[in-house]
Amino acid sequence: MNQKPIEKKFMPDISKKEMEELKNAITLASQKIIADNIERMKKADPHRPQAMKYFDDMSDLFGSRQKEIAAEKEKGKKVIGYMCLFAPTELILAADAIPLRVNSGWYDTSKLGDRVVPVEVCPVIRSTIGAKMIELSPFLEQSDALISVLTCDGMTKLSEILGDYKTIWGMNIPKIKDSTQSLRFWSDEIKHMKNQIEKFTGNKITRKKLKEAIETSHKATKAFRRLQDLRRGSPVIMGRDAMLVNQTYLWDDKKRWTEKTEALCDELEKRVQKKDWVCPPDTPRVMVTGTPMFWPDNWKLPTLVEEANPQGIIVADELCSGERILNDPIGVDEWSMDDMLNSISERYLMASTCPCFTSEDGNEDRINWLLNKVKEANIQGVIYYVVRGCMLYAMEYTRVKKALDKINVPVYYLDTEYTREDVGQMKTRVEAFLEMLTARVDF
Amino acid sequence: MALEIVGDILRLTVLAGLGIAGILAILIWKKNLATKVTFLRFIIQAVSVAAIFYIFTYTIPLLYVLIILLVMTLFLGRFFCGWLCPFAFLMDVQSVVRKVINKRYRIIPSKLNKALHQFRYVLLLFFLLIPIVLWFLEPPPNTDFAVLMAQVMAGPFRPYSIMLAPLIPVIVSWTTAPLIINGVNFSYPYVQDILTWAGQDIGQLIAIVFVGLTLAGSFIIRRSWCRFCPTGVSLAVVNRFKGFKWAPLLHIEKDEEKCTKCGVCKRVCPVGVEEVYEQKGGKIQTSQCMICSRCVEMCPYEDTLKVKLGKKTLFRSRNWLEATKINEEKRKIEPKTH
Repeated sequence: MNQKPIEKKFMPDISKKEMEELKNAITLASQKIIADNIERMKKADPHRPQAMKYFDDMSDLFGSRQKEIAAEKEKGKKVIGYMCLFAPTELILAADAIPLRVNSGWYDTSKLGDRVVPVEVCPVIRSTIGAKMIELSPFLEQSDALISVLTCDGMTKLSEILGDYKTIWGMNIPKIKDSTQSLRFWSDEIKHMKNQIEKFTGNKITRKKLKEAIETSHKATKAFRRLQDLRRGSPVIMGRDAMLVNQTYLWDDKKRWTEKTEALCDELEKRVQKKDWVCPPDTPRVMVTGTPMFWPDNWKLPTLVEEANPQGIIVADELCSGERILNDPIGVDEWSMDDMLNSISERYLMASTCPCFTSEDGNEDRINWLLNKVKEANIQGVIYYVVRGCMLYAMEYTRVKKALDKINVPVYYLDTEYTREDVGQMKTRVEAFLEMLTARVDF
Repeated sequence: MALEIVGDILRLTVLAGLGIAGILAILIWKKNLATKVTFLRFIIQAVSVAAIFYIFTYTIPLLYVLIILLVMTLFLGRFFCGWLCPFAFLMDVQSVVRKVINKRYRIIPSKLNKALHQFRYVLLLFFLLIPIVLWFLEPPPNTDFAVLMAQVMAGPFRPYSIMLAPLIPVIVSWTTAPLIINGVNFSYPYVQDILTWAGQDIGQLIAIVFVGLTLAGSFIIRRSWCRFCPTGVSLAVVNRFKGFKWAPLLHIEKDEEKCTKCGVCKRVCPVGVEEVYEQKGGKIQTSQCMICSRCVEMCPYEDTLKVKLGKKTLFRSRNWLEATKINEEKRKIEPKTH
């Protein structure tokens, strides 16, 4: 790897010793948190599906997957990280590279990020900056290049800040998504990205390879949707477990993930037949929407909801770290190169419900998604989760509330930070909301 | 005698083909294999070409065929264009060839596409006016009403025949076809009419240009002729006017809430209908839609698009990844335990 000449524009100089100390301390703490999270998930569901064991292993960010990627890198494979779901992973797969999502979920590193950007900035961004500062995140360190899609303000500047260390490819995304010219613009961007990936990895993206990559992601979508469908009925899997499975897709090997998820679904289907529920079927059913929640630290809301008294269960979510990852398949009409690229660009732009978009009717797709999910999964209450500084999600709250009020589904706005200090306070709030839901059920 | 036996065998083959197509259609419905709609359509198109070829071996008054088509359109929309038309079949075969050699179709800008859809009314009017103009240029010598009517209906003044031009299969059974190679009679939609109207000399030239343009056009652009086909418009006018909007029993219906506006339906539509994407739910009532059901087949969200006949659902978009193995029954939530 030929490193870029280091002339840091943003990052402060940090002594080697301090860095090492911080890194070791946070790594240790983080490993403990991962173990603790898993432990609590096991406790919540005494007979957890056997297939979940694989995902538990995979969830250890400092564990086996990191070593696997290191071994692949030895063999000459490139790793391409991305920060938003808009990055065309199929192109990365087709170029024989490994796609990894590198957003950080560490609470502690967000304090470090304060040294570079003000506290008002979204903690996801601050935490990622902090993680890079002390080289904490194994996946961020391993990625040779980063695709940064310029969606929200935070992501835009984050790409610039991380440019101090890595090759960054910015992708300029149009903010109005359903016009022809936006689509044309975005298709050009995707084509350009294809060329860049080809040049960087040295592997040509051929028609056959791209088709294979798209089919891989179709299979993954199939498994993914099957899992989400199983969550729709009476609860057979804890919401946290399913959310963890969804999230491991972001860094796991895609084919293996598909296999394991199918195995999990098989097991769950047997449970459906036996009517073996993880919690009483009349447990309040909750949907989470808003800012993405990243493993490992930012797991407090799902934990709180499912360990609260009265207990709730998360049966659906609208998070770009959750159900939005694989919800939309790539609809290829004819398997020619041009059409495949076109369908990839359409899938990433038009099917997305990210709040960074607007159009004539505003971000109506998101509202539709929420309304549809509420109906499909019999949601009784929606938790609108926003971290302080996440402007786009916070600003869409009013509209979502109005839309959900119309169909008489309560929404709860829960704002928090990347911190553990407010867990007690949040617990009270979540429990009050769940109690209200239970009362509604009884009523 | 021998010829008659051959004729009987042919007749039976066509009937058997129709029967098989019917069975396949029922199978695909019953099993709800929405992914096989294109395949099914291809079979039906091929069979209908055979059937229409068969019709042309008799001298059926074309007016009856046209009336049947128009009445059918009243209830089925432009079903004929999407599923039966032989000219469309030719274009679809060309699309298959194009797919095999991995060439992508061109997309017409939506403005041009809309202009073409308007242009078809002009073309229809033009086709209808030609005979009248010709009649004025060369008035018939006899002004007796009965003779006049006879001339009008039989002579060059038979505009309805041009309405059925796309129905003319490429290989025809009559011997007055424009082109005969090794005893096989080749024809092409509209060519005969061009020759009739324009005379042999200049007609030949126009015919060659026309055939070349349509062949090349439908190779590059999917269903290019369908965008301004005068026959299509004569069928479409039935659906176009408000008084008739209730009429088509066969239509595509959209559920806005389930739609994420991924744009697949707009892209896969062979004639570039945008209403299916832009409309906010409800019946898709545009006269451009040929109910070929490609959008329904490709829509990745369950139940978002449906092909309906009256109130009965024929096909529904059932995500083509076939993710859902769990039926509605299992998806239900258990009733309260206490």
